[in-house]
Amino acid sequence: MTAQTETPEVWVPPTWDEVVREHADRVYRLAYRLSGNRADAEDLTQETFVRVFRSLAEYTPGTFEGWLHRITTNLFLDMVRRRQRIRFDALPEDAGDRLASREAGPEQAYEQMNLDPEIQRALDELPADFRVAVVLCDLEQLSYEEIAATLGIKVGTVRSRIHRGRVLLRQALAHRAPGSRPEDVSNAEEVMRR
Amino acid sequence: MMDGLMKDAHLSDEAVAAFADGVLRGHARERAHRHTSACPECSHAVAVQREAVWALRAAPAPALPTALLDRLREVPLTTPIQSVSTALADDGTTMFASFGVTAAAAFVPSPPTHTNRSWHLRPLVITTAAVAAASVLTVGSASAAGQNRVEPAQQVVSRDIGSPVPAP
Repeated sequence: MTAQTETPEVWVPPTWDEVVREHADRVYRLAYRLSGNRADAEDLTQETFVRVFRSLAEYTPGTFEGWLHRITTNLFLDMVRRRQRIRFDALPEDAGDRLASREAGPEQAYEQMNLDPEIQRALDELPADFRVAVVLCDLEQLSYEEIAATLGIKVGTVRSRIHRGRVLLRQALAHRAPGSRPEDVSNAEEVMRR
Repeated sequence: MMDGLMKDAHLSDEAVAAFADGVLRGHARERAHRHTSACPECSHAVAVQREAVWALRAAPAPALPTALLDRLREVPLTTPIQSVSTALADDGTTMFASFGVTAAAAFVPSPPTHTNRSWHLRPLVITTAAVAAASVLTVGSASAAGQNRVEPAQQVVSRDIGSPVPAP
């Protein structure tokens, strides 16, 4: 422990296992927020790590987190476009099989009890482009510039998608008490951004 | 003059989002501040943005299924590698060994350890994946891949044994 903190040059490289443990939670959470269901979130997460493993050689310096965000988000957008092309017609059976094949373990029970289905549903109803912008901004807390880079769009477009996405979200949750907010968010304007 | 004309103009959607997020700076921020304090419409629009964010952030994050975690750990075992590349680390050790499906079979999956984060104290496990990951997390030495081609040097260190076993 001391060796690592005092002499960074003898830093021991992490194993694949450590890479997975370090980043899997975040990738899965992002995948779940984007896709809105467990089966797709698992597939997206797995595919993200497969891509990471395969393309380590092509990795260009930058933050590992940013790289993971880009891969996950682009895989999700690919999935959305693919499904739009085939109009979902061929999917339900397959999706059902994959869902059924997964065990209903303790996590699933936890998930069903603790996830706010209302908010996830409101997210799911957003157009994919808006959802991606809102999730990356508000849940992953990326800056507008980072989102623009991730999606390959202009910052102005990012802002307008975020704005529109939030308006739609708020409408979907309109029956909730207006202005309700967690107590730890006090100085909103400053804490909104990192 | 421009200021006078613009004073009563409503904030654009983009400005509403940016102001709600506190990322407007300088003049734009001052103007948004001044305008929202006098304009209920824009003030409400900013509030809507923030309420959406709070609602989202208040929702608990889904937990990573343990079965998925296990599958992710096994990615080196189950993923065929097409590209063959070798790179040298700064200290001259081979960062990228040439490997494929057969070599992948040599991977020793580390036993599940849910205990603590002091991974650097454990015996170093050098697999191709580990070394490959190392190249990512150090200096992107991957760019050297292909240029410094070296004979594959597979090292497999069993965590159980704890001592390096260099490849023949």
